Amino acid sequence: MSAERQGEMRILTEGDIVVARKVVRGVANDAGFGLTDVTRIVTAASELTRNVFRYAGAGVLRWRNIDTNSSVGVEFVFEDYGPGIADIPQAMQEGFTTSGGLGLGLPGAKRLMDEFDICSEPGKGTTIKITKWKNK
Amino acid sequence: MTHDRILVIKVRDVLMVTMPADPDDATVGELQEQVLGALDHHRANGLVLDISAVDTLDSFFARMVAETSEMVALMGSQTVVAGMRPSVAITATQLGLDLGNAKTALDVDCALDLLNAMPGGGSK
Repeated sequence: MSAERQGEMRILTEGDIVVARKVVRGVANDAGFGLTDVTRIVTAASELTRNVFRYAGAGVLRWRNIDTNSSVGVEFVFEDYGPGIADIPQAMQEGFTTSGGLGLGLPGAKRLMDEFDICSEPGKGTTIKITKWKNK
Repeated sequence: MTHDRILVIKVRDVLMVTMPADPDDATVGELQEQVLGALDHHRANGLVLDISAVDTLDSFFARMVAETSEMVALMGSQTVVAGMRPSVAITATQLGLDLGNAKTALDVDCALDLLNAMPGGGSK
């Protein structure tokens, strides 16, 4: 049984989006996810890392492996101290964007993962936690 | 940090554009100018965008591909996106991505056949 592992990286530059994808891919691969799930997880992480960089300028990505009796999971937390989101239901709507993008980042990332939790306070920042589970 | 570049070559009358496996946003952002410049320079009849090496297609990447395809159409040419991996296709659909007016093909061979079948396109 593998020990619980965790780590973190800072999101400071646009290049860190690529770094985050590599880190997340490694974590998901090591946890034993198949290629399609790894692709889902990496793609969700790519959307959320870009959001941190675009909207807040900087933030932190934390990850950890979760091991329960019946399943293993990977959890990623994206935390920033940016402008925050005033209207979360609106931000979760497909096609809503304030950056000229497609508005798929948040709702898309939610669909690709098993769990999606968002906490945000205007002026304070945003924290998003995503989790993917796999049966043992 | 080194990062892989977009490769653009002309084969017969077609532009072959190959995306690296994991391009950063700046590289993806260069796609439009690089492709449109090459299209103008080589007077190509069509464009194959080979994404067979790409293992993550997120919404930014997809938007750049869709916009490039629209710009190529405005210049009177056509884009075929070739070689999307199964895992990428599954993820793109769940994410809700589409590639605008770009046609798609299983691989580069199929993409060339598709361009040949289009009016005014192809490698003849």
